[in-house]
Amino acid sequence: MSDIQQELRKTARELLESGEVGYIIGWGKGRFANQTHPIFVKDPAKVDELVWDDYCLSTLAKYTQDDKYPEKKIGICVRGCDSRAVNRLIQDHQLKREDVYLIGIPCSGKLDPETNEPAKKCVECAHRNPVVYDVLLGSPVEEVPQPERFKEVEELEAMTPDERYNYWADVYDKCIRCYACRNVCPACNCRECYTDQYRVGWQGKQNNRAENQIFGITRAYHVGDRCIECGECQRVCPMGLPLMKLNRKMLKDINNLFGAYEAGLDTETKPALGHYETNDVEEFM
Amino acid sequence: MSRTGVFICHCGTNIAAVVDIAKVVEKAKSMPNVVYVEDNKYTCSEPGQQAIKDAIVKHKLDRIVIGSCSPRMHEPTFRKMLASTEINPYMLEIANLREQCSWVHTDREKATDKAIDLVRMAVAKVAKNHALFTSSIPVTKRALVVGGGIAGIQAALDIADAGYPVTLVEREPSLGGKMVMLDKTFPTMDCSACICTPKMVDAGQHPNITVMTSCEVEKVSGYIGNFEVTIRQKATYVDHSVCTGCGICELKCPSKVTSEFEQGMAQRRAIYKPFPQAVPAKPVIDAANCRKLNGKAKCGICQTQCPQGCINFEDEDKLITNTYGAIVIATGYELIDWKSIYGEYGGGQYPDVINGLQFERLVNASGPTEGHILRPSDGKEPKSVVIVKCVGSRDPNKGKGYCSRACCMYAAKHAHQVLEKIDNAQCYVFYIDVRTAGKAYEEFYTRTLEDGAIYVRGRVSKIYEEDGKLICKGEDTLSGQTVSVAADMVVLETAMVPAAGVEKVATLMTISRDNDNWLQEAHPKLRPVETHTAGVFLAGVCQGPKDIPDTVAQASASAAKVCGIFSKAELQTNPMISKVDIEKCSGCGDCAGICPYKAISMQDMEFIEHGKKITRRVSTVNSGLCQGCGACVAGCRPGAIDLLGFTNAQILEEVDALCL
Repeated sequence: MSDIQQELRKTARELLESGEVGYIIGWGKGRFANQTHPIFVKDPAKVDELVWDDYCLSTLAKYTQDDKYPEKKIGICVRGCDSRAVNRLIQDHQLKREDVYLIGIPCSGKLDPETNEPAKKCVECAHRNPVVYDVLLGSPVEEVPQPERFKEVEELEAMTPDERYNYWADVYDKCIRCYACRNVCPACNCRECYTDQYRVGWQGKQNNRAENQIFGITRAYHVGDRCIECGECQRVCPMGLPLMKLNRKMLKDINNLFGAYEAGLDTETKPALGHYETNDVEEFM
Repeated sequence: MSRTGVFICHCGTNIAAVVDIAKVVEKAKSMPNVVYVEDNKYTCSEPGQQAIKDAIVKHKLDRIVIGSCSPRMHEPTFRKMLASTEINPYMLEIANLREQCSWVHTDREKATDKAIDLVRMAVAKVAKNHALFTSSIPVTKRALVVGGGIAGIQAALDIADAGYPVTLVEREPSLGGKMVMLDKTFPTMDCSACICTPKMVDAGQHPNITVMTSCEVEKVSGYIGNFEVTIRQKATYVDHSVCTGCGICELKCPSKVTSEFEQGMAQRRAIYKPFPQAVPAKPVIDAANCRKLNGKAKCGICQTQCPQGCINFEDEDKLITNTYGAIVIATGYELIDWKSIYGEYGGGQYPDVINGLQFERLVNASGPTEGHILRPSDGKEPKSVVIVKCVGSRDPNKGKGYCSRACCMYAAKHAHQVLEKIDNAQCYVFYIDVRTAGKAYEEFYTRTLEDGAIYVRGRVSKIYEEDGKLICKGEDTLSGQTVSVAADMVVLETAMVPAAGVEKVATLMTISRDNDNWLQEAHPKLRPVETHTAGVFLAGVCQGPKDIPDTVAQASASAAKVCGIFSKAELQTNPMISKVDIEKCSGCGDCAGICPYKAISMQDMEFIEHGKKITRRVSTVNSGLCQGCGACVAGCRPGAIDLLGFTNAQILEEVDALCL
């Protein structure tokens, strides 16, 4: 891993010195050994702040959204998840491919700093190698198939409606509406999120079960076919809500209705809910 | 504060019999913003409308709610009425107290409660209404007619006679469709070709009609008044601008192919005219069967023989694009493939079990037997003929649930022809019902009975061969006895189904189809030739089974609709369309992908953001194309699109009025 870290710093220095990129989005060390956080490196002299270790958990692509009209290219470190997020943003026309320089890094999974066990989102990862990059550091790692992608959804589906209601009621009673899930999500890229708009009649700002549930279900629908399954929403949720279960329920239904589908693997495949074919299922028509 | 007037219609007893109108009026008086309520026997009538107009002036109303029939029925009526008042025609909401209440409920108390709720919702919604204004779009006064059967020909002739140019597109090499295959037409027994071919010639020679045979519609974009249509001219390998139609090529062509026009009972050449009276009277080459084109031999005899040198083996498909103001769809029908579903009738293994169109060719003087009814198997004259009706029709289990409407009459015609043309013939007609609703139809059927046709009420359950005879087993349900008839020939009067490829046409023009794939008219009674796509009309069997008189009538009706559009210099657009809030639009383009009318496109626009000039992608709606379906509104995540007349705020008010 340290080899890749060396290579990363070297690449970053070259990119910054040559002026190819304006800055680089990567990971930097936090206060503790088991922490990293996203950093933005502009000065070639500071490239040694970039790290690549077991705790580089954050998905980085969303940070490009803070600088939508950059003067120079933005360099971003991309693993499988970051690269799919980049594709997703390009497909939503929120990012231009020519505005980013992608430093691809194959990833074998990271550790949960709390337990030092492999992080849940990494255990469930189906694409460890970047699907798009300009330069690849190290060599590709073996992909791990995910036959149990929808296992948690099936468990939910096996519940009775009452059990399921109680389950989600418990979940959303805990939600504090901090919107961390939205802020970190590469599929959430509206100019103004509906939750931030004034007088949206169907979504109150109150923090109670009903409004929280409406928020949860609306977010699941809005993310729907755009979810790249990076698991960041669930990872960053301060209340530990199982948000990926909702996202995967959407994806499972999409897979059932429209055939095998994974978001963000390329920029050509149209989002399942963003277009129609004349032979789409019309069971309600 | 708005000043809402509420007008509750009795609709005679249609609403009043089930809904307690007095109670609805009483409740409406206390609804928010309501300043005046009245009820009326018939609100849509002249005095009813005048009462509204008077109330608007007297009570200074600025918006109204009418509790009446479905808005699909009289919304246009009331909008027109409002246009002559101070109020904008879109400051109107209709509570549907008839179709959605009185007609579907019997419990007076509950129906009244529901009617009050419906009025309350409309009152809540109308408070959020805004004045809407139509805009005008120019009209291209040129029509496209798709399908060159009798429906298409009639529509094209009527539009052309009114003085507008028409393009008549037909995918086969000749106009004529199914009608030109028929022998006689019921009930007058005039020769089908004699009345159809002159129309074909008229269409072919009309100065306002461009006939495009061997052509198919490839792409349609645009909207009423301005459809941009791309037509594929299939390669015919014969230059029709030079060809004189002398026919030498046909005589010399060595490859013989089964004739589609003769329903598989005769042969044609690979270079051919479908039938002698074809329009245009010029041949085409069937590439799949031409020895030179399919590479099986060098051949090219037609090319060497053609005195005009018009054979071109290098011919290719061409795409021709033009703008049309209106489109008439007349794609017609074909007969159901009975062989794959009626194994009990032999499934096609007996050559003397034929369908109605094959019989038409057999009995036709220009057909393969020159009008003599002869068995396809051995060319002998059948003495005993069985006619089976409703093969595939009225049979939801195996075929189609609907009645094909024309078969009862042409079965009677076939029986009449058998008895007329064959000495000492026996003709049995198996039927479920005899439906003769049409001018002089019943008389024709009675005449057939007098001719000696034996009508047996029941379905044929099985047909099999025994000693050179076709044994038809069935039940006479009137006597309750099983019947067995030994026939020499059996004619199956099979169901009409939409012509192959109708799905493609429907998709191109975004017309809906019913469960059986017939094209859907906009309203079964009041808009029978319109579709939900403005400017696209239906003619003939593509909309549902019908006979020739009805087809021709519908074709002329659709032509009248087209001429109606063309009679105006400009068209008014429907203002109830989508509107984009470009501040909220993030430019993802999902709306453009899901719009069924291709009305949304993405545009780069310049903005100043944080003091910096930037170019941002935003969605724009074409007001001519948008039909106000609302798919984009539902699909837009940040809620940047709203549907004028059905805004999210309006719908929310309705929901709140109902639930809170």
